[in-house]
Amino acid sequence: MKYTQSITNENQAVIATQRFALGARPDDLKNIQGQAKTWLLNQLEVFPPVEFNKRLLHSNDILILHSDYRKALKLFRQQKLKNNAEQPQNPHQTIYKDLSADALEQSINSANSFNWRCLDFFSNHFSVTAQGQLMKGLAATLEREAIAPNLFAHFEVLLLAVCKHPAMLIYLNNETSIGPSTRSAKNGKGLNENLAREILELHTLGVNGGYQQEDVKELAKGITGWSVSRPDKDKQQGFVYRNYHHEPGIRHLMGKAYPEKGIKQGEKMLKDLANHPNTARFVCTKIIQHFITDQAPEELINHLTAHWHNSNGHLKTVFKALINHPLLWQLQQQKYKTPREYVISTYRALAIKKLPIKQVQNALSVLGQEPFKAGSPAGYSDQKEDWNGSNALIARINWASNLAAKKQLRTINIESFIENLFLTSLSTHSYESITRAESRQQALTLLLLSPEFLRR
Amino acid sequence: MLRRDFLKALAASLVVYQTPLLALTNHPKQPKVVWVMLRGALDSLHTLVPTFEAELQTLRPTLFNHIKGKCLPLDNGYALHPSLKNLHQWYQQKQLLPIVATYSGYKKRSHFDGQDYMESALAVPDLENGWLARLVQTKNKQAIAISQSTPISLRGANQLSKTWYPSRLPNAEQETYQALQHLYQDSPDLLAKLQEGLSMDAMLDKNSMEKTQKNNFVSLSQSCGQLLTQDNIDCAMLTLGGWDSHKNQAGQLERQLKVLDTGLQALKTELAEQWNNTLVIIATEFGRTVKENGTRGTDHGTASALFLAGGKINGGKVLGKWPGLQQAQLFQQRDLQPTSNTFDWIAASLKQHWHLNEQQINHIFPTSNSYQGKMFR
Repeated sequence: MKYTQSITNENQAVIATQRFALGARPDDLKNIQGQAKTWLLNQLEVFPPVEFNKRLLHSNDILILHSDYRKALKLFRQQKLKNNAEQPQNPHQTIYKDLSADALEQSINSANSFNWRCLDFFSNHFSVTAQGQLMKGLAATLEREAIAPNLFAHFEVLLLAVCKHPAMLIYLNNETSIGPSTRSAKNGKGLNENLAREILELHTLGVNGGYQQEDVKELAKGITGWSVSRPDKDKQQGFVYRNYHHEPGIRHLMGKAYPEKGIKQGEKMLKDLANHPNTARFVCTKIIQHFITDQAPEELINHLTAHWHNSNGHLKTVFKALINHPLLWQLQQQKYKTPREYVISTYRALAIKKLPIKQVQNALSVLGQEPFKAGSPAGYSDQKEDWNGSNALIARINWASNLAAKKQLRTINIESFIENLFLTSLSTHSYESITRAESRQQALTLLLLSPEFLRR
Repeated sequence: MLRRDFLKALAASLVVYQTPLLALTNHPKQPKVVWVMLRGALDSLHTLVPTFEAELQTLRPTLFNHIKGKCLPLDNGYALHPSLKNLHQWYQQKQLLPIVATYSGYKKRSHFDGQDYMESALAVPDLENGWLARLVQTKNKQAIAISQSTPISLRGANQLSKTWYPSRLPNAEQETYQALQHLYQDSPDLLAKLQEGLSMDAMLDKNSMEKTQKNNFVSLSQSCGQLLTQDNIDCAMLTLGGWDSHKNQAGQLERQLKVLDTGLQALKTELAEQWNNTLVIIATEFGRTVKENGTRGTDHGTASALFLAGGKINGGKVLGKWPGLQQAQLFQQRDLQPTSNTFDWIAASLKQHWHLNEQQINHIFPTSNSYQGKMFR
């Protein structure tokens, strides 16, 4: 593949904000010109890589609230006829809205939005869906508690944190999976292989990663007993390991024996999966597809995979290698923004003083990518074909033109807005079409719908 | 010019300019095809129930007890889940043809791979080449997916396929659409999508679709039926998820099958007299374990069921060879053993519905051997 020669400082800054970060805020391009790569590499050193509003609920709180709510509801149903008690309120819809609003708000305002893109990537890699009462509130806690702190750690650390988090355990039904030869396996209770299958297929080896049905079963048995605290029964909070639910005996996974006892067995199996060469290749390919192009070039896959191997899956090292590779600094935009990327980059560019967060959430709903609503553990697609339908384009057009008509945007200066986003990289045709629009509102609409802004 | 007129004019010019053949292929009794993909792996044993199998009671105690005695009887001891009231009526009118123990040829139990198989119908799935796309190409027909993006089934058909999904947003001004056509003059892909989107809008405006713009399956089926009554839409694809019942399956399927049943009835109602020219194909990526799992649900399996429907389908009987539920009769001792390929049946029905020749059908379904029986009355 040919590398584009002589990428200017200007273009490097534009690429850094669009391809790596979540889009430029008004002063970003001016500030990072001449040091775009350093700007990205420095973000990798920030700890914690992303910060949430700490005052919002933790999964432990949500589990308690849920248990209290169920108890109150039961009581209410029993007593309803006797008095006019008020029906207890289901807390989960509010929790879902608050937690997902926080992530959006931080992504839009952050100076380290490369890190937020990385968080979005892994949050989607380990996708959980807000479906059913409890998962509605719990879904958003996975990225906050398990992914964010381990974002640039070794992949095995991240994988273990995710697989021990209540949201993942409950979403993929492992919290009630019981070893078939334990005493608890009666009355129809027993093994559930859902989480084990998705770990192999989606989180580590990939669907062509060389595992068989027997491996699914063995991993499922290896992680029996990995469960979640029931606040009214257990003393511990959050993740609970129940040894009496753990399937005894030696497990075999991908041709290797696991004689370990108890929780160590599943941990060892997951660590080995995290460090399997097929995992490196699978996750690196997905990273490349996310950052640069739907068809990952072999050269780049090999480059990233080599850094993964040499560092034992150290994600910071892998992302450094990504930032440093010349293929990533080609000017041509190859990715079509997903609705989430499109909406976040729009609000970053607009930098409205008091962010209308409900408007942002509503946008994701009408454009088809609500947070934690992928509906499948495979997460939302990262491929152009899944987002660029004609109907989806019309929805973006209608959305952008409605947004551009908002009162607080009536005085926007289009020329400086273009400069803040593109410096001088916007095509002449787009530039002229936009600046010659019949009104400021239409100019802004066109800019938000220009090929250069729809892509990254 | 009013926006609606502008759009209509645009749509008309596009049809003439881009697809001159369309005008020639239209005639009133145009056969229609609706492809309903059930994503998440439908448990056929809980849907098209073999009530003659004593094993059901022992292998799936909680699941079978939930529907025992309430199923809607078909022939030869089969029965439909109690939620499928409309489908049962279709069956009695010989307009529903259930087929047992079918599979796509895929045996590895991953939803996503399984769906790729089901949608591409190729030996090695190609995500840019779907069977519905190949079908419309054969006869230069038009297909629409009721979805926000093009599903794999319809990829590769280029200008013969569209997507439509209800919008909750007020439309932009007409001048904006015009300005965008100018803006996209150097971006042919965006320009094509824009023009396609506008021509679709014009079509729907004409039908005053605004009233039914909700995104639940029943409304989508209703809109789908309305779109199909247009002369220049021959095929449509609907999808319904929510079948991945690993836990507490009985309640989940009771609700979800009701949604499916109500939606399909809404489709039929909207199609009105076109129902007699319509073939509806309902399938899922694979089946589920024969034995209930440890959480009152079922895990990923292999064979499931296929349903064909339509005013003239040769229905009112259950086809397919029953493999049995004895341990030794199961696939890998756990799943319903497939006894026929889903595409053999789909190919046979499409071949007869659209009068396709051997070469055409082999191009659409290269891995299958068409079933030889009579699919329509």
